[in-house]
Amino acid sequence: MNALLGQLNPGILMILAGLAGCLVKSRRIRQVLMLVTPILSLVLLSVAARGVDISAGSIMGLDLVLYRVDSLSFIFAVAFLIASFLNAIYALHTDDRLQDGMALAYAGAAIAATLSGDLMTLFIFWEITAVSSVFLILRAGTKAAYQAAMRYLGVQILSGVLLLYGLTQVYTATGSLNLEAFTSFDQPGAKLIFAAFAIKAAFPFMHNWLQDAYPKATVIGAVVLSAFTTKLAVYAFARLFPGFDVLIWIGAVMTVFPVFFAVIENDLRKVLSYSLNNQVGFMICAIGVGTAGIGSQLALNGAAAHAFAHIIYKGLLFMSMGAVLYRTGTTKASELGGLYKSMPWTTVFCIIGAMSISAFPLFSGFVAKSMTMSAVAHEGLTVVWLMLLFASAGVLEHSGIKIPYFTFFGHDSGKRVKEAPFNMLLAMGLAAFICIAIGLPLVGGFGYTWLYGMLPYPDVAMAYQPFTLAHVVTQLQLLVLAILAFMLLKRFGLYPPERPGTILDTDWLLRKPGYGFAKWSGTVWNKAGPAMTAVAMRLAAQTYNRLEATFSPRGALARGGLTNSMALWSAVLLGLVMLVVLLAN
Amino acid sequence: MTLPPPIERDTSGRFVKPETDEPVGEMADDDMHPMARLLFGWVEAKRTPMILLFSVLLLSAILIMVDPLLHRHDEAEIAHITGFYGIWGFGSFALAVLSGWPLGKLLRRSEDYYGEAETTPQDVEGDQ
Repeated sequence: MNALLGQLNPGILMILAGLAGCLVKSRRIRQVLMLVTPILSLVLLSVAARGVDISAGSIMGLDLVLYRVDSLSFIFAVAFLIASFLNAIYALHTDDRLQDGMALAYAGAAIAATLSGDLMTLFIFWEITAVSSVFLILRAGTKAAYQAAMRYLGVQILSGVLLLYGLTQVYTATGSLNLEAFTSFDQPGAKLIFAAFAIKAAFPFMHNWLQDAYPKATVIGAVVLSAFTTKLAVYAFARLFPGFDVLIWIGAVMTVFPVFFAVIENDLRKVLSYSLNNQVGFMICAIGVGTAGIGSQLALNGAAAHAFAHIIYKGLLFMSMGAVLYRTGTTKASELGGLYKSMPWTTVFCIIGAMSISAFPLFSGFVAKSMTMSAVAHEGLTVVWLMLLFASAGVLEHSGIKIPYFTFFGHDSGKRVKEAPFNMLLAMGLAAFICIAIGLPLVGGFGYTWLYGMLPYPDVAMAYQPFTLAHVVTQLQLLVLAILAFMLLKRFGLYPPERPGTILDTDWLLRKPGYGFAKWSGTVWNKAGPAMTAVAMRLAAQTYNRLEATFSPRGALARGGLTNSMALWSAVLLGLVMLVVLLAN
Repeated sequence: MTLPPPIERDTSGRFVKPETDEPVGEMADDDMHPMARLLFGWVEAKRTPMILLFSVLLLSAILIMVDPLLHRHDEAEIAHITGFYGIWGFGSFALAVLSGWPLGKLLRRSEDYYGEAETTPQDVEGDQ
């Protein structure tokens, strides 16, 4: 039994438990299942052998590697499992079978995809993440959520289809589906697979599914969604496209542009969604550093550490906004303010999340982001480095200050609500604990070395020193002077007020002209269709009438008497046969 | 029996509200969470914003003053300027925030632009 369990990909175990959870009516039993499965999975993962195919199978002549652990997939899977456990605690106050089950299955699919050893297995779980996660949006129950869920599903499935198309090209060309890193875009399938990953990682111009769907999900749903999909794509890039130069620039652009949208966005869960783009940008940029097909060890460590820290602190920020939404019914900055009076614990945890994402020294973002920044600077990419530095100040603006300030402080909205339910506070407290525990220098057994020891290249990571005086002071300079800028702008009335409204982004193209075109085509088709049908019908009727007029018993050929026409036709046919025979000879 | 105070009129004869010492339109804070008073009670003090501003100013000055004493190993030429990180942070932050004015004008539409003003999910409690 133990041997059998040891061979089971923990992600698959979670998918099965999640599907079973959808059927369990008893709330308590289901919740125990939601909490115990990630822990059991973590135990299974920690005892798994590294670098070997633990479980393999063959379907229709394809050799599939269902379970393979190495240092890169390990850290992503651990982060996913911790997130899944925290999410289960966060959801304890609810009683929603479908949401509970699908949240676990979705996390399981992301983990199974991370721990898969070939492209086909990756594709299968890639698609399961799409299908299972859509329920987290649908359960919000609004018309907007339904429409966003359909758009989300369309985009995710498109990503899967591209991946499938790409992997067939890889298979045709090489006869293998191994997860071996590409070294150039000229390799068969590379471009398609890159595009598939790009959609899921929400690259610029493909990013809008994220801001569209996440803020419309349920309170729990947004927290769950924030952890998995984009980070799975980050893992996939690190696995298959390390050191691709184009990623450096895409990543840098990705860190910069969401800053501007986040400043004017009113819905704070949407602000967090833009912030997600910005953070994933740092990871993508890091993956691009180094030689194509290999990457840079320091930068890949940076990407993995950033992903780990990010999954926890972004989850924490979404949790705090979820708690606010749960109690007040809104996350619009224009309607919030002064909530520290009613939700002080949520305020504290949100501030810890905000300081972590802003990379204050002693918080998790600092030890993670430093490696990426150092790697980029080391490569001599000054412009990119400056862009990332700008984005770091931008993160402080939207996630570090805007989120906590406009929700919990700022103008008092007069809302007086209860503090968040205990289970939410517990989940936030644990996440906040991790944010601090992995951000500290080594004190009393805690500290960043625990995280560094798990990175893809632990030796390189351990040799890296984040807590040098110069580093701490320069980072504080960046942050403290940015805070000074905030205070001065606020004092002189230069900070744009929070206003309700919809902010246009690239999805406008799809949703206004695109939708308009589809609608117009529909109208045209509706009018043109019947017209074309009528033409076809008329032609058919005329042909029939002609045929009938000639050949029917009442027709022209029958009219002249049976013998006449028969003789005539026999003569014609005989003549034709003779002609053919003659020509043939 | 005491008569209610006479209603005041202004010079043009219109009624005016009597001025009271009680703040109008502010919620009574009796229902404030006890922990909030302990953790964030200081936020409400009148002098807090000024104290905060001056502490941040002071901290900024100190951070820039110690900058020349550091042994920085920055690869980028531009980063060798004293206080570069602070200047870049201040500038970036101000640029991001100030661009909010024109961008807001350019990109903000009504909340119902896509016909989806109602996005509150059903699993909220809504205490109000």
